[in-house]
Amino acid sequence: MTLARTRALAPAALAALAILPWVLARHQLSILVDLLIFGLFAMSLDLIMGYTGMVSFGHAAYFGLGAYGSALVLIHFEPPIPVALLAGALLAGVVAAPVGWFSTRATGIYFAMLTLAFAQLLYTVAYKWRDLTGGSDGIAGVPKTTLFWGGPSLAERRTFYYLVAVTVVLSLLACRALVRSPFGRALQAIRENEHRFVSLGRDSRPFKLVVFVIAAAFAGLAGALFAPFRGFASPEVMFWVLSGQGLMMVITGGIGTLVGPLIGAMVFLLVQEILSSYTEHWMIFTGAVFVLIVIFLPGGVVGAARRWFEARA
Amino acid sequence: MNVMLETHGLGRAFGALQAVASVSMTVRRGELRAVIGPNGAGKTTLFNLISGLLVPTAGRVVFNGEDITGLSAPVRCRRGISRTFQITSIFPELSVRENVRIAVQLKAGRNFRLFGGRALLEPTERRAQESLAALGLGDRGDVPAATLPHGDQRLLEIAMAVAQEPELLLLDEPTQGLSPEDTRATVEVIRRLARERRLTILLVEHDMDVVFDLAERISVLHFGQLIADGAPDEIRTNPDVQKAYLGEAD
Amino acid sequence: MAFVAEQLLNALALAALLFLVSAGLSLVFGILRVVNFAHGVFYMLGAYLAFTAVTVSGQFWLSLLLVPPVVGIVGALLEASTLRFIYRRPPIYQLLLTFGLALILEESVHVLYGPTAKGVDPPALLQGSVQVLGAAYPRYRLFLVVLGVAVGVAVWLFLTRTRAGLVVRAVAQNSEMADCLGADVPRVRTLVFGAACALAGLGGAAAAPMTTAYLGMGVGVIVDAFVVVVIGGLGSFGGSMAGSLIVGAAQTWGAFYLPETAMVIMYAVMGGILIFRPWGLFGQEE
Repeated sequence: MTLARTRALAPAALAALAILPWVLARHQLSILVDLLIFGLFAMSLDLIMGYTGMVSFGHAAYFGLGAYGSALVLIHFEPPIPVALLAGALLAGVVAAPVGWFSTRATGIYFAMLTLAFAQLLYTVAYKWRDLTGGSDGIAGVPKTTLFWGGPSLAERRTFYYLVAVTVVLSLLACRALVRSPFGRALQAIRENEHRFVSLGRDSRPFKLVVFVIAAAFAGLAGALFAPFRGFASPEVMFWVLSGQGLMMVITGGIGTLVGPLIGAMVFLLVQEILSSYTEHWMIFTGAVFVLIVIFLPGGVVGAARRWFEARA
Repeated sequence: MNVMLETHGLGRAFGALQAVASVSMTVRRGELRAVIGPNGAGKTTLFNLISGLLVPTAGRVVFNGEDITGLSAPVRCRRGISRTFQITSIFPELSVRENVRIAVQLKAGRNFRLFGGRALLEPTERRAQESLAALGLGDRGDVPAATLPHGDQRLLEIAMAVAQEPELLLLDEPTQGLSPEDTRATVEVIRRLARERRLTILLVEHDMDVVFDLAERISVLHFGQLIADGAPDEIRTNPDVQKAYLGEAD
Repeated sequence: MAFVAEQLLNALALAALLFLVSAGLSLVFGILRVVNFAHGVFYMLGAYLAFTAVTVSGQFWLSLLLVPPVVGIVGALLEASTLRFIYRRPPIYQLLLTFGLALILEESVHVLYGPTAKGVDPPALLQGSVQVLGAAYPRYRLFLVVLGVAVGVAVWLFLTRTRAGLVVRAVAQNSEMADCLGADVPRVRTLVFGAACALAGLGGAAAAPMTTAYLGMGVGVIVDAFVVVVIGGLGSFGGSMAGSLIVGAAQTWGAFYLPETAMVIMYAVMGGILIFRPWGLFGQEE
């Protein structure tokens, strides 16, 4: 039933995405791009959290790797942006492979804290390797180049917005195809009962490793969009706070729905945006709201909306 | 190959506790064998040794002429040994049909298809539906498995194992916690499956009525050792068996 | 020789601090089956409260005595008002809740104390150094070692020799049975959580004169504590001790010989344990 509703809403959402850049003010469009980028980040986290049942506390590291990868490529070679996007996603995926291999030897909270430890390690590397990463200052002056060689410049804000929007929508479609595939179904079985899964004939670790790398690559893709958008990459984007915010976005939106975390990220960031204009210490309120959501709304915003719709049906 | 499964001096110790000791048994193809014994006799441990969840501390397991002692549980499953669990172990939030479909998929392979969705799932869906129908669950395919009543969940466990088209089916207390009617229904299902699919079944059971109703041969474990092995009538009158059960009525 | 002694004592001092933090973390997991992500922030809270207490009263020893209970009460109140309601949920929700609490607490400290680090002076008795095996060794570090051992012995005695400790262990083994037998399980949980936070607070208060109280000290220590607990085994008290010693040693010698890679060594040890013995040196094989 909700599938039908989603299908009905999709064209409306796509239309809105297409029209909004002509309707919104400059500042507002900028916020929307931010929302989309972090929406993609949250969605990638949902792949491992919602569908495979693995909680990662270090997902921001791959966002950061994507940002740094994209930034370095753009600064040194100035290729079209899609090349930088590929570079960022690849860097994230390649680093995620050994980290994932180690981390998936553990489960549950052990796995979660291992991902945190590795992320902190990467953060420290980013912070200390001044020559490559610019240390605590990061890399500034990342240019927005072109769509393809000899193609339109992406410096124009609406053009860049469309790049981001298209990338996010395509990623959403790719992730949906993934979770509906035999591989995706296997992931969900692992989430539901890993022990039974193994007794039915396959080792679960290769599955977990593959989805970990894929999720990292999508997070890297989000980071790779971030760097040219904001014009910089810095260690903050790898910090544990962002990992935690990612978790909050996923829970806020509704774990295991892909679209939920996308929306959850947007809600979360909007609330943050509004709160931070009132007080410098908005993190307290964010934490408090999050605690309340965990206690009272475990299905997240999307889950609550679904229940509300179903009650009226 | 007339002999499906052999164990040679199979043993498993947990520290000082010898849970299974020097069990040697032979199961023929097509046989319906029950493994019984008082609580703590080591029946589930024996199952875990055969299915591969536990590594033996002594002895060997030979399946279809192949020594599988060194093989892990997933590999043994793919060789043709499927099992159910004493405590129901299903995928709660997945639908009933999906539970069985996953069992089919994992056995069949091609698990790393990342795209392709519906088209790739259809053949496995059909086989899953067949198994569900054979167990009487055909009309309940779409509900979350967790919402099934206990008796149907036990049947779902069996459906999952049967859908993998195993050569050897290990049923660990399939009637555990079932009402008398559900028990009778399950016994019928097992009997029919054994006949129609020519399965070799190894069954752990506490319910003696079920055991004597279904089994062609019975093996009796006591304190981890095999104390008797034979036709139901022999077992019924065996003094060692009677002593082990301390006055259990036959 | 003097050098080796100095390094050894450094390692022990570090191990003592790690032990105070990781013992609480391990206790909460073993008994509540919850990983308290906010645990590191209670450590930080202890340090900042120690700063306030010492600045206001000028009394170090009194502060060291009073700060842990205060931190413990804060922890107990938070547990009773939030965590208590979600024990039956899947573990991820508890993990995330403690994460939310960590954010709230961390930012609250930021609000109350501002962004700069706060120094705490150790008392006259513990200032300066003393000759140990031919080396001049800071007295404060020696104090930390003694404190660590004392607390370790005290907690172990409590758990194994007192009636209350027995109740706590019973709840850890089987909370439903303990409940049926009359133990007030929610109260035990709150008390254990509070006690673990108090231990972390003690660690922070004890660390403050050495490391100063600074924002972000919580995150650094919780990752370290987790490495300790992975190595030693979650839920094992003895494991926390062993793990603390190993990590303390690895970090001390690593910092000296390979300063840039000290962290890597630690993660390498942890990685090794996770590959060959995931349940830790003293944990239970699942």
